[in-house]
Amino acid sequence: MVKIEDLKRINLLKNFPDHLLEIIANEAQLSIFGTDTQLIAVKEPVATFYMLIMGQVAVKRELTPKMDIILDNIQSGSSFGTSALIEGSTASYTAVCQEPCEAITLSGTRMQQLFKENHELAYLMMLGVAKQYKRKMDTRAQMIMKTLNENPELKEDINDIENLTLVI
Amino acid sequence: MVEKDILEKIVFLKDLPEPVLEKIGNIAHLETFDEEGILFRQNQEQIFLYMLVSGKVFLNCRSTLGRSLTLDEVLPGRTFGVSALMGETSSTFTAVCVEPCEIITISGEKMRELFENDFKTGHTLMLKVVSIFRSRMKMHTRQFLHSLATHPEII
Repeated sequence: MVKIEDLKRINLLKNFPDHLLEIIANEAQLSIFGTDTQLIAVKEPVATFYMLIMGQVAVKRELTPKMDIILDNIQSGSSFGTSALIEGSTASYTAVCQEPCEAITLSGTRMQQLFKENHELAYLMMLGVAKQYKRKMDTRAQMIMKTLNENPELKEDINDIENLTLVI
Repeated sequence: MVEKDILEKIVFLKDLPEPVLEKIGNIAHLETFDEEGILFRQNQEQIFLYMLVSGKVFLNCRSTLGRSLTLDEVLPGRTFGVSALMGETSSTFTAVCVEPCEIITISGEKMRELFENDFKTGHTLMLKVVSIFRSRMKMHTRQFLHSLATHPEII
C-alpha cells in the first residue's frame, strides 16, 4: 500500500478523484531498484505498471548486438509499462534504471481485473495513457516535420507519413 | 442526430453495442461541407471529433517557414480530430475538404460527457485509441531503428 499523496505526484493520476486513488493506493507497492536493474524486457510480457517517484529510467532498443539506442529517458512523475494494462500485449522496449529509482508499482493482472469491476477507473487510466501517447507522438511528429522542413526532398522517401496524423 | 446505419460505416465505432451507437447517434450531427471548406486550423482550439462518411479530406501542416505539407488523405470511414476526445484541444494540423464531404461531427465535450456517464463505453473506445497509438509508436520506432541501421553515419 502507498499513500495517496505519493500517487498525486504521478502526472497520469493528477486529476483522479480520491475514491479512485484510494483503490489504486490499496493495490500499489513502493519499490526501490538499483542502478542497471532491468524492469522491462523487449518482446516479453510486462507484469508490472511503473510510476516513477525518483530516479531515471532509460527506454532502450538494440540496434546491433553491440549497440543499444536510448529512445527516451523517463523522469520522475512519468509512468511506463502500459503493456501490463492491456491483455495479451508485450513490451516494445527494454527499460533499465539509470540510477537508483523509487517507483510505485501495480500488478498488471490485478489492474486488468479491477478494470472489469470498475469502469470509471478503467476509463480514466486509459484516458491518461492515451494523453501520454499523444504527447509523445506529437513530439515525434514535430521532430519529423522540422527535419522535412529543412530537407523537403526526404518526403519522397517516406511512404507512410500519414501515420503522424492520428487518423483512426 | 445520426442514424445507426451511417455510424456503422465508421471504423472507430465498429463492434460497439447497439444502445451505445444510439447514444452516440443522439449527440452526433451529419453535416455537408463544400470543396475547400476548412474544418479546423493548425494550432486552433479543436472542439469536434470528425468521422468522414463521403468525400475526401486533406490534413495539412504548415512549417515555421510557411511551407505547407499534406500529411494525410482521409478517406470515408475514418475518424480524425481525436484530440477533442482527450480535452486537449490544440490541433496539430489543418483539415481541408478537397471535394464536397459528408461528415459526422461530434462535440468532444459531449462525447466526454457520454464517457463519464457510461464509463464502460469510455473505456472501450479509449482502449481502441491507446491500441492504435501504441502500434503507431512501435512502427515509428522500428522505422527509426531501421534508418539508423542502414545509415550508420548518422550515429
